[in-house]
Amino acid sequence: MKIKQQEPASLQQQTTPMIDVTFQLLTFFMFTLRIVGPEGDFNINMPPPGAGAAKAEILPDIKVRLIANPNGDLASLKLGDRQLGIGPGAFQLLNSEILKLVGGANAARSTDIEIELDADYNLHFDNVVKAIGACTGRLSPDGKTIIRYVEKIKFAPPKQNPDA
Amino acid sequence: MKFRSPPMPSAEMDMTPMMDLTFQLISFFMMVTNFDQTQVDERVRLPTDALAKPPEVRVEHQLVVNIGYKRAKDGTRLDPQPFVFLSGEELRIPEYRSRLQQEARVYQAKEVNLNDVTIVVRADSDVPTGQVQEFIKMSQDAKFEKFTLRAQQPVE
Repeated sequence: MKIKQQEPASLQQQTTPMIDVTFQLLTFFMFTLRIVGPEGDFNINMPPPGAGAAKAEILPDIKVRLIANPNGDLASLKLGDRQLGIGPGAFQLLNSEILKLVGGANAARSTDIEIELDADYNLHFDNVVKAIGACTGRLSPDGKTIIRYVEKIKFAPPKQNPDA
Repeated sequence: MKFRSPPMPSAEMDMTPMMDLTFQLISFFMMVTNFDQTQVDERVRLPTDALAKPPEVRVEHQLVVNIGYKRAKDGTRLDPQPFVFLSGEELRIPEYRSRLQQEARVYQAKEVNLNDVTIVVRADSDVPTGQVQEFIKMSQDAKFEKFTLRAQQPVE
């Protein structure tokens, strides 16, 4: 008698559910992806009102004044009483003047000196960030590390809204 | 005479290369997805500065606040006043005061010292500085003490 051999059961796995889940995951990651450029932070020293009253005045604060025109653009940048002009050149000049005042990059005084930014109410915020950047220091030649001039930067008390 | 019909060719497609590719795509998206950026609002046009480097040490408690303008597609402002953007909500800066106090209460309920909480200010480059300062003053009134201003690195 001839015995017919049974065909072996198919060993192929059912891949459809896996493909479904995989595509759902792919769709999820594609839709949640946000392409955002690298962001960084500038620390500012803002103690609560009254906390700085007892501070020993060993070194006077360096005052940086930012004056705005009616459109909110920078009209004048001053370091103390000295006029530094406007535009990118003014911020570069501010950077080199701060370096002179501090006495060199990463100097011991850099931790003691505090810079006070006094900006007009309507000045666009990007000018303040540029000023903070110019006061903070500069990038090393390889562009990877920050050579710090000062550690402490604070805001002067806010001015009144001219439109209020 | 009996004829045996030849077996039908399999109509099933070979899915292996497609699966390989799909898994590679998933791996790519998983790598580049940063869930830390969920608090980032794309409407805020951050100021740029070369010194804006990402912090080397991760801050444990931070409250990210997005301050910006409602803009049309061409970038023109739809409202002259800036807003604080929350998920699905927009508040004027003075209206955010109660939220800040609420956040402070939440941290205190979690037994987190408010001195350890950093407020990350993501303000649009065109926002008047006085409004950012008013926001910081409001936060100080809510007993927050640490602040950082966020900026973007320039694209080379």
